[in-house]
Amino acid sequence: MIHIDDILKELNLDLKDAWAGLLRRKVRSLLGSLGITIGVVAMVAMLSIGEGAKQKALDRIASLGLHTVRVEDAREGVGITNLSYGLVLADTKKISAWLGDRGSVGFFSRAANIATYNNQQKGLSTVLGVNPEWLKAEKWSVANGRPLLPEDMVRQSRVCLMGVKIASDLQVSVGSSIRLQNVPCVVIGIMVAKGRLLTEGTGLSSLDFDNTVVMPWRGFPFAKVVANEPILDGLLVTLRKIPEKEIIPIAKQIEEIIQVSHRSVKDFSMVVPLKLLHKVRETQNLFAWVMVSIASLSLLVGGIGVMNVMLANISEQTREIGLRMAIGATKKRIVSLFLCHSLLLTLSGGIMGSLLGLLAALGIQWLAGWEVAFSGVSLILGPVSAGVTGLLFGIYPALRAASLTPARALRES
Amino acid sequence: MALLLGKKLKRTYQVGTQLVTALATVSLEVNSGQFLVITGPSGAGKSTLLNLLSGLEQPSEGEVLFNGACLSTMNETKLANIRNAAFGFIFQIPHVLPHKTVLENVALPFQYGGLSNASQYMDQCLEHLEYVGLKKLGDRSPNTLSGGELQRLVFARALVRDPQIIFADEPTGSLDAANSKLILELLKEQAYKGRAVVMVTHEKEAMAYGSDILKLDKV
Repeated sequence: MIHIDDILKELNLDLKDAWAGLLRRKVRSLLGSLGITIGVVAMVAMLSIGEGAKQKALDRIASLGLHTVRVEDAREGVGITNLSYGLVLADTKKISAWLGDRGSVGFFSRAANIATYNNQQKGLSTVLGVNPEWLKAEKWSVANGRPLLPEDMVRQSRVCLMGVKIASDLQVSVGSSIRLQNVPCVVIGIMVAKGRLLTEGTGLSSLDFDNTVVMPWRGFPFAKVVANEPILDGLLVTLRKIPEKEIIPIAKQIEEIIQVSHRSVKDFSMVVPLKLLHKVRETQNLFAWVMVSIASLSLLVGGIGVMNVMLANISEQTREIGLRMAIGATKKRIVSLFLCHSLLLTLSGGIMGSLLGLLAALGIQWLAGWEVAFSGVSLILGPVSAGVTGLLFGIYPALRAASLTPARALRES
Repeated sequence: MALLLGKKLKRTYQVGTQLVTALATVSLEVNSGQFLVITGPSGAGKSTLLNLLSGLEQPSEGEVLFNGACLSTMNETKLANIRNAAFGFIFQIPHVLPHKTVLENVALPFQYGGLSNASQYMDQCLEHLEYVGLKKLGDRSPNTLSGGELQRLVFARALVRDPQIIFADEPTGSLDAANSKLILELLKEQAYKGRAVVMVTHEKEAMAYGSDILKLDKV
């Protein structure tokens, strides 16, 4: 009957014996595990860089909102046409009507680099004319004061909300009267700090929320007007109660609504963050496969090095193997001893590789400025894959050692 | 029933296309307390016979029975257990593991069988080191021992599992006269205590210690 206690005790003895055996030939052991170390360094560094890139992309998508569809004005690429003036209020109404309770449509008009004054203090800010739905969709809330209300839209009030940076720069508080170029305006609220809208690589315009002044869209003094129609710079459609798989078809429908309304003039661009997420996942999968292939090659080369070291060790220790067999070691124990050898050799290489991989990733971050992120999986995967390599490449040398007959092994010179 | 019985043992090796006979047919019997000396000229098959009797290799023909059980047909684990617990080995070259201390080398058989509690078997190992006069050297590396001390270490290791038979293959072959005498005296004492001793030698002084002599002729 096999007792697990006995197996564990034998394994413990073989591990100690194998470790002492490795320490006998420190330089050879170090060189033998070097291939594995380099392979694991490459694996951990690449995983950390990949993880950093993924995290950055996910942060960007999270900033855009997964359940949103963003539409922006793109008349510049189309030229002048009287078929369509661009995004207008009628578009938002059509989309709202089609969506019903499945979502809401926020919108904005933008004016960049507007001179903003508080008494003698002057700054430059981006001024947006928005509807209350836009603020909700951006999840941007008021820290001090009150939010924009539908009444402000109706009354076309000259009130505004200020981003925290511009408010601080101009020493503005709630109730202050400021001027946006020559337009007077009362500050009704200071917004919470939100940073930037992460639009890099999406084709969307960037926005520094904290340096932005927000006004009610109706009566927005900086709106571009074409043929007496105020033009919108962007729409932000928020979808509610919609399963993830339906978001892209709905976005397609919204695109068609606008397309019909604009008489097929493609004077707008649309970004669906969910599509970006799918793209990130695809890229990530591709990167993972490339990484696995490179890491596998490195580990393969490392494994062959380990096998070489093992065969050299066995060749030198033939008489010791004979001795062990003579005094009672079974073939199974000889296999176990040499598998422990190769396991420890590669595992130590793997652990060393993981630590060096972390340092390499931090070095790359410092030198190249790439963002890196460490996941527990990548740190565990290095030593585990090294250990598995050790076991796979240790099997042949271990079986070869066990195939010796004691008398023949003892005779070896 | 004989403790160890060799029946019509023959060993041949295939060398290229030739079949070389290392040991011509031999039969013998070994009993407890017997000190059997196997002697003969070089190439007579003395060491081969010792290897066959101790299960270190298998005969081409014939069989070896230990306490009535055939070593040739026994499974590998059982045979390893017998070598571990019932046989003790002393070789001409004192084989040791250089990365272990003297004491750990003596304890080596326990790594492959017997007591699993180190504190229990370490006491036994120290007793045997004391018996061969090496107790003070237990913590030393075998690399620091002289040839005679190494052979005494091997002797202690051979005795540590309280074996029924001690197999010694030219145990004094690499020793000076004083150390040779010490080892032979120790072997004789073991036979006196009731163990069987099977020793291969070609030295006349060593043969004198045996209770029985088996002389092999060159094949």
